[in-house]
Amino acid sequence: MQRRNFVKSLSAAGLALYASDLVGDLVAQSPRGQVLQSSFKGLSDIALGEAKRRGCSYADIRFTRNVNDSVAVRDRIVTDAFGFGAGGHEESAGFGVRVIHSGVWGFASSPIVNEAEIRKITAQAVDVARASAISKRFEVTLAPVPAYTDYWSVPVEVNPESVSLDEKIAFLMAINEVALKVPGIIRVQSQMAFDFEWKYLATSEGSYIEQEIWRTAPGFTVSALKDGKLKTRTFSVAPRSAGYEVVTGARLLENVERICAEAIEHCTAPPVGVGLKDIIMTPAHAMLTIHEIVAHPTELDRVVGYEANYAGTSFVKKDDIGKRMMGSKLFNVTADRTLEGGMCTVGYDDDGVKSQAWPLVREGRLVGLQTNRETAHYIGEKESRGCTFATSWRNYPFLRMPNVHVDPGPPGSPTPDEIIADTKDGVLIDGRGSYSIDQQRFNGQFGGDAFWEIQNGKKVRMVSDVTYNAITTDFWQNLDAITGKEHWEMFGTTGDAKGQPVQINHPSHGSPWCRIRRIMVGAAYS
Amino acid sequence: MAYARDEVKAITDKVLNMCKADAVQVGFSGGERSATRFANSSITANLVEHDQEVQITVYYGKRTASATTHQFDDATLRRTIEGVQALAQRKPENPEVMPLVKPPQQYLEVEAALPSAVGFGPAERAQMVKVSTDICEKKGVLGAGYIPKFDWVNATANSEGLFTYFRYADASFILTCRTPDQTGSGWAGTTGAKDIRNIDAAMLTEVAADKALKSAKPRAIEPGNYTVILEPRPAARYLSLMLGSLNARSAEEGRSFMSGKARGETRLGEKIFGDNFTLRSEISNQVLRQSPVGQDGLPARDITWIEKGVVKNLYYDRYWAQRQKKDPTGTMPGMSLVMDGGTASIDEMIRSTRRGLLVSFFWYIRPVDTMTLLNTGMTRDGLFLIENGEIVGPVQNFRWNESPAVSFNNISMLGRPIPMHTGEAYDNPGTALVPPMKLEDFTMTSISPAV
Repeated sequence: MQRRNFVKSLSAAGLALYASDLVGDLVAQSPRGQVLQSSFKGLSDIALGEAKRRGCSYADIRFTRNVNDSVAVRDRIVTDAFGFGAGGHEESAGFGVRVIHSGVWGFASSPIVNEAEIRKITAQAVDVARASAISKRFEVTLAPVPAYTDYWSVPVEVNPESVSLDEKIAFLMAINEVALKVPGIIRVQSQMAFDFEWKYLATSEGSYIEQEIWRTAPGFTVSALKDGKLKTRTFSVAPRSAGYEVVTGARLLENVERICAEAIEHCTAPPVGVGLKDIIMTPAHAMLTIHEIVAHPTELDRVVGYEANYAGTSFVKKDDIGKRMMGSKLFNVTADRTLEGGMCTVGYDDDGVKSQAWPLVREGRLVGLQTNRETAHYIGEKESRGCTFATSWRNYPFLRMPNVHVDPGPPGSPTPDEIIADTKDGVLIDGRGSYSIDQQRFNGQFGGDAFWEIQNGKKVRMVSDVTYNAITTDFWQNLDAITGKEHWEMFGTTGDAKGQPVQINHPSHGSPWCRIRRIMVGAAYS
Repeated sequence: MAYARDEVKAITDKVLNMCKADAVQVGFSGGERSATRFANSSITANLVEHDQEVQITVYYGKRTASATTHQFDDATLRRTIEGVQALAQRKPENPEVMPLVKPPQQYLEVEAALPSAVGFGPAERAQMVKVSTDICEKKGVLGAGYIPKFDWVNATANSEGLFTYFRYADASFILTCRTPDQTGSGWAGTTGAKDIRNIDAAMLTEVAADKALKSAKPRAIEPGNYTVILEPRPAARYLSLMLGSLNARSAEEGRSFMSGKARGETRLGEKIFGDNFTLRSEISNQVLRQSPVGQDGLPARDITWIEKGVVKNLYYDRYWAQRQKKDPTGTMPGMSLVMDGGTASIDEMIRSTRRGLLVSFFWYIRPVDTMTLLNTGMTRDGLFLIENGEIVGPVQNFRWNESPAVSFNNISMLGRPIPMHTGEAYDNPGTALVPPMKLEDFTMTSISPAV
């Protein structure tokens, strides 16, 4: 059996396991991959026909079924974990109808999936748009997109549902047992979280697209108490769009003793002090810095003011493309919805635009932005980059970031050890810590999870009280060393919040090891 | 789509009757969440979300599991229940599982779904946007805002016969005005209004627009320690930073700012804030009109957390209370929160300030050190320098690093509390009564030039 076929058959089996509600039944009864034979084709056409009859210039209907599952073991007690959802086993299914009428959007959604409700909700979306027209000062303009009829799914080797709960608990309990034997460890939580998303999008422009996505995020955190000081340490695992193989491949158990030892050492580690130092970022740390000060400011809806009331605008201006320097020559950034494993990797976005990869920064210069159908025209682009996404059926789709990566260095780039050996006075930072950034993504203060002092090319000892202050463009301008593709890793976050009402996105951010010269460190504690 | 008490009871009864576990708890939530957004003085999104869900938690002795579904047909409920029952039986015992709360329980009567909020629809919201953006146009600024509305029901039922039902309807109006040259920005808003007549979109737009115009082209001044006057929005965000430390378990486990010197000890009874800092939960408050139902259906009661600087109560959840042989605290920190204020107006605070800053908004606050409550964040949407009792002009924003544990010993003036959301976003309950406050020696660490 070819891999693609194997994956497809696995997907079908997985879905049957998950199907405990009526929407799941409808999905299970529809022939997989034959989008036009799906039960949702007929249901979609009801909404599209109703919207057309009511005079809409555009309409789409998006059914989704989201299943979040998690299990955690905290101090040998089995409990639920936060991850992609609020904890426990959550199933949520329903549909949202989006229309343009009188030049403005209207949106309504419901968890009740039947013909009458679809007609009612479509009418409500139209009424909402019509009512909104008194407050429009410009009309929605959509970039054109071809009509697609397609099925797409994430390749999954081991469906998380096929692994028994006993096995999952035993795996997590073993981490607890090792950690709680370490003197000084007062708390441990190990967890795994799974997200399954099925969606069916139909648009008035002729697209019918069905997609299935699995995401998996394992990890553990320990708390150490020594000499009256408490520190936590988290083992960073890259969450991925994939199955249970993310858990078994993460070497969680193998790292428990090391992580515990580091947590304990951190308790009594001396403060780093205040001053200019070189920082070396592991990919597990650079991930969130990339997210905050590269990925967010290159969202075009922010650039043109759509998020001014909440998430903020951007220091990047729309006419900066091709002109503004964002960093040093080593700084190359790529937006990507195609790389296998990326949590934002999909076949199509929620506008029905085929996914792609494109450059944002090349040799330090801004060369592109993240766009969707609604915003592409602001920078004169004829096509969307495919960045529309909604958390679930309940939410309206809007511009969300894709996976955004810092590219690895060319062949011959230094290894992490060589970068350390070449650093005279620096701090090595691993993992996520306190992250705070202004509303235009220019002044950031970031911490990490664990820190080591680098003196004269040697990793000397752990230090504490480390934060650094980053003025975005200066920060990346000081990027003077990166590792090659063999040390490039893709981490990510399950909690990217944006929009009103707030919605959650799950982007991945790949990075090499990076060294930033002469950055202010430790100011928060001064 | 409001769910009436009888309708919800029928749903929860159906679930309880279908379950075969030793004990069952059902949490229901559902209703309408609507919202209107605008940016660049034009409406950008107007939406109505309908939702309903039951969270079913089943118990076999100390073994438990929970599952959530949004479909209420018999087949879905049956399969969800069968699934969660099987899941619970496969799990090991959880020693922290508590028996269900037994009826009868007495809850305070809170009328929280008033007609003006229930009937606040997309057309009314669009009209509010028009009122606001017309003023923006006249003043020469761009308006970006958000008008969320809830008509929502939360209910709890269990197999002991307990049933609680709470319906609320409220709305907020939140606005950021910006100058076309992008050098000035101003914020104004009101949140959690149970009576929509208390939302004055025109007045709020005047405030935000004037702030934007007055804050344009700010100059940079040196970071350092400043007297700050926090308007209610930044005051509410700052206040929220200490709520987590009121948890008794983390305090007694040595993981919190409220932990005592030895493990197992807390700072209960200690005076650790200034005389003028008093924080209460007032469940019967007629402005807030928030839920009278606490953890697992326990009744929430008025409670004083901090009184004149002394820690009077910590929050004991049901398990930790039993373990420590205490009574559980029905009221969770953050419920119907009221911080006592004073009588000073913001003008009086300004007039009494030799050199300081008037702060309109705090942004992106994150913890730096949980044991000391050290946090970092930035000012935003209007920061003004005060010298010799007068505002002398706009200044560039600052990043700050400060702890409410320090600041709430340094409150020099308080104004009258008003309703203001304590969270970063405005989508969940979280409005409290918070006064504007004048704090001494607030640490501004670096310039944050973003507007």
